[in-house]
Amino acid sequence: MLTKILSASHFGLTPNLIEVEVNVFKKGFPGFSIIGLPNKSIEEAKERVKTAILNSDIDFPNQKIVVNLAPADIPKEGSLYDLPIAIGILASMELVKLPIEKSFFYGELSLDGGLRHTKGVFLLGLAAKQKGIKSVFVPSESANEASVLSGIDVYPVKSLSELIAHLNGLKKIEKIKSSKYSVLSTEYCSVEFDFAEIIGQESAKRAMTIAAAGGHNIFLVGTPGAGKTMLARATAGILPPLNEDEALEVTKIYSVSGLIPAGEGLIRNRPFRTAHHTTSLIGLIGGGTNPHPGEISLAHNGVLFLDEFPEFSRGTLEALRQPLEDRKVSITRIAGSVNFPASFMLIAAANPCPCGYLGDPKRECICTPRMVMNYQSRLSGPLMDRIDLHLNVPAVDVNKLIANSEKRIAKNSKQIREEVVKAREIQNKRFKGLSFYTNANMKNKHIKEFVDIAPEALVLLKQAVNTYNLSARTYFRLIKVSQTIADLSVAEGGERSRTNRILPNHVAEALQYRVRNE
Amino acid sequence: METKTTEIKTGKTKKKLNYRGEDPNNLIANSIAIVGSRQMTRYGRDVVDKFVCDLVANSITTISGFMYGVDTEVALKTLEYGGKHIAVFGCGLNHIYPPENKKLYDEIIKSGGSIVSEYEDNAKPSMWKYPQRNKVVVNLASLGVLVIEASENSGSLVTAKLAKKAGKKVWAIPGPINSRVSVGCNELIKSGDAKMATAAKDIAECQIINDKLQIKNRPELPKQEERIYKILQLEPLEIDEIARKTGMRIEETGTTLSIMGIKGLITESGGKYYITI
Repeated sequence: MLTKILSASHFGLTPNLIEVEVNVFKKGFPGFSIIGLPNKSIEEAKERVKTAILNSDIDFPNQKIVVNLAPADIPKEGSLYDLPIAIGILASMELVKLPIEKSFFYGELSLDGGLRHTKGVFLLGLAAKQKGIKSVFVPSESANEASVLSGIDVYPVKSLSELIAHLNGLKKIEKIKSSKYSVLSTEYCSVEFDFAEIIGQESAKRAMTIAAAGGHNIFLVGTPGAGKTMLARATAGILPPLNEDEALEVTKIYSVSGLIPAGEGLIRNRPFRTAHHTTSLIGLIGGGTNPHPGEISLAHNGVLFLDEFPEFSRGTLEALRQPLEDRKVSITRIAGSVNFPASFMLIAAANPCPCGYLGDPKRECICTPRMVMNYQSRLSGPLMDRIDLHLNVPAVDVNKLIANSEKRIAKNSKQIREEVVKAREIQNKRFKGLSFYTNANMKNKHIKEFVDIAPEALVLLKQAVNTYNLSARTYFRLIKVSQTIADLSVAEGGERSRTNRILPNHVAEALQYRVRNE
Repeated sequence: METKTTEIKTGKTKKKLNYRGEDPNNLIANSIAIVGSRQMTRYGRDVVDKFVCDLVANSITTISGFMYGVDTEVALKTLEYGGKHIAVFGCGLNHIYPPENKKLYDEIIKSGGSIVSEYEDNAKPSMWKYPQRNKVVVNLASLGVLVIEASENSGSLVTAKLAKKAGKKVWAIPGPINSRVSVGCNELIKSGDAKMATAAKDIAECQIINDKLQIKNRPELPKQEERIYKILQLEPLEIDEIARKTGMRIEETGTTLSIMGIKGLITESGGKYYITI
C-alpha cells in the first residue's frame, strides 16, 4: 500500500516541501530502497529506520519497500527523513493512523527508537506557516526552535513508540506552548573580559563603545600585547540583546547550520564569531554544493572578529568587500543561487608590521621598510575604506598605569552596555519599518532623510575634508559615526542637547577615527 | 636614458664616475652630504625639513644615498623647495633601488639634479657595495657631511668616519639620549668627531628662513587647547596620556585634538600628537 508523508528540506534559507512516498509491496523480493537523489546520510537511514522500528517492538516487514523522495530531481541530504520514512512504512503496514489534517514529520532516529536533535526545525516551522500546515511532529529536543512561530501546533516527540501511541489515539502528546519573545535588557551574559578590567586604553574603549552603539566596523592597529584582542573580546559584553526581528533572522541561520543547542529556542544573544586567519574562503563567506552559510552570515546582526587581519589570504580579504557593502552575500552554485544575510560588525586587528614592534617605544622593530610596506599593502584601499573607525592601540606602560589607575574609575561593561542599548533604541525608532537597524547601515539617501546636522558642524566637516583630503565615502562615514556619537550623548543624558542633532563636537570626535594615510 | 662618464677628485687622485642628468662636477661647488637612519623618526623628519629648506635657500646642493628613510626624505624635500640633489647609487644606474623611488629618480633628473654611480649600468645592488658608495658620497660633498639620525654601528657612522679620514667636516644633530636612532649622533658629538649642528647657519653662512623648530610666540588659544598645547610642548604624547595629564574626559580630549589638528596646531603620527608651531 502507498502512503505519502509530508516533510521539508531547505536550500539556503528557503524551505522546500518534500513528499516522502512509501510503498510496501505485497509481492516481490524483500528489499529496502530509497530513490529521489538521496546522499549517503539518507542511504544509511535504512539501517536506522529498520533498527528503530525493531527496537520499538514492531516487526520490520519482510517485504519489498520503496521510498521515493519527491520532487525527485532535487538532491537531498541530511538525517531528517528518518522519521517520515519510518512513519510511512508503519502507515503502509496499517500499524498507525495518519492524522486527518496535513502534518509535517521531521527528525533523525536513534537505533533505540528515540528521536535526536535535528537541525533546521525552525525552517520547518516557517515552511508549515507558509504552506498552511497545522501540525508538525519534531524531536522534543529541537521543538523549542519552532515554538516561537505562532499559528502552528508543534508536537515534541521523544521516541517512535510515543508517536505511534499518539497517532493511534492511545496516549496524546501535549503540544508545546508557543513562547513569546521577550527582551530582558537587564539580563547580562557573562563574558571573558569586563571593560573595567582593561587598564588604560581609554580612547580605545570609547571607540569600541561607539562601534557597538552604531554597528560600525572597526580596525585596531597596535603592537603585540597592547590589548587589541582583549578589547575585541570584551566588546561581546557590551552588545545589546537582539530585538525580535533580529533574533528571528539569526535563529534561521543558526537552525540551518545546526548551531542551536538541544532544547534551546530563539537565539537572544548577539552572535560574536571569531575566525582564525587560516579559515578558507568558503568557510568565511559561505558556499558548498548545497550552499551553507559562512562565518560572515553566522555573525549576522552580531560581531565578526578577525585577528591578525593582514595574515588572511588576499582572496579571502577581498571577498569580504561585497558583503561589507551589501550586508548580504549571494552564492551561486550548480544547484542554484542563494542569498545569505551578512549584516555584521567587523572588528579587525593587526600589528603595524610583520615583527609587530614598529613605533614601539621600548622594542626595536627589525623589519626592513620593504617588509613593512608589503605587510601594510595586503590590506587594499577599498577594503580599508569600508571600515568606519580606525584606531591606534598603543602599548601601555604598566608602571604608569598602576600609579594612575586609582584616580579614575573605569566604567564597567554593564554600564557601557546600558548606554549602548539606549543608543540602539534611538536608532530602532529612527529606522522603524526599514530593513536595517543601525547608523552604520545607512545609505546616502537615508543620511539625507534622517540626519540633522548643525550648520557649524557642517562647516567643520568641510574644513576637515579640505585639510585631510578626505574621499566622498569617508565624508559619509564621518557623518554616520558623528550620528552615533550624537545618539550616545543623548543616551548618556549628560549633554545639554536632548536632540539627536549632530553638533561640531560630535564631528570633531568622529574625526579622531578617520583613516590615517601616512 | 643615456649614461655619461665624468671624473671627480678623490684626494690627490681622480675617480671615474657614471652619471645621468647634470654633470655632478657642476653641482658640487657648494654641496653637503646628508646621511641618516633608514628608520627615520618623526623628529628626524622635522630636522630634515628645517635644514634642507635653509640649505636649499642658500643654493647648497644636497647629496644622499637614495635609500629609504633620511636619504629619500632629503631628496624629496630638496625637490620640494626647488633645490638640486645628487643621488649616489650603490648599484648600476639601470637598477632603481629601492624601486618605490622610481618617481623620485625621474624627478631628480628633471629638476636638474644628478644620479651617479661608480658601477657599470647593469651592476646589481649588493650589501658590500653600500659602504663603497659612501666614499663617493663623501668625495662629492664640498662642505662636509651632516648626520641626522644614526643608531649604533649604522652605515651613517661609517660615512662620518670616512669623511673624517678624507679631512672633511662632520656635523651631527643631537637627539634625545633614550632614542635608538640618536645614539650614534650623540656619540659623534661627545667624542668630538662631529660638531653639533642645531641650525643651517652652523654649517655655512646662511640666512634662516624656516624657523619651524624655533621656539617662538603663538596665537592665544582657548583654555582646553592651551592646556593640551603646553603638555605637548614638553613631549609628543598619545591621546590616552594627554587625557590622563589634563584630567579631561576622553571624548573632550579627542574633540579638542581634532579641532587643533584642523587649525594646524598639531599633527598626528603613529598614534602620537606633535606640535607644529
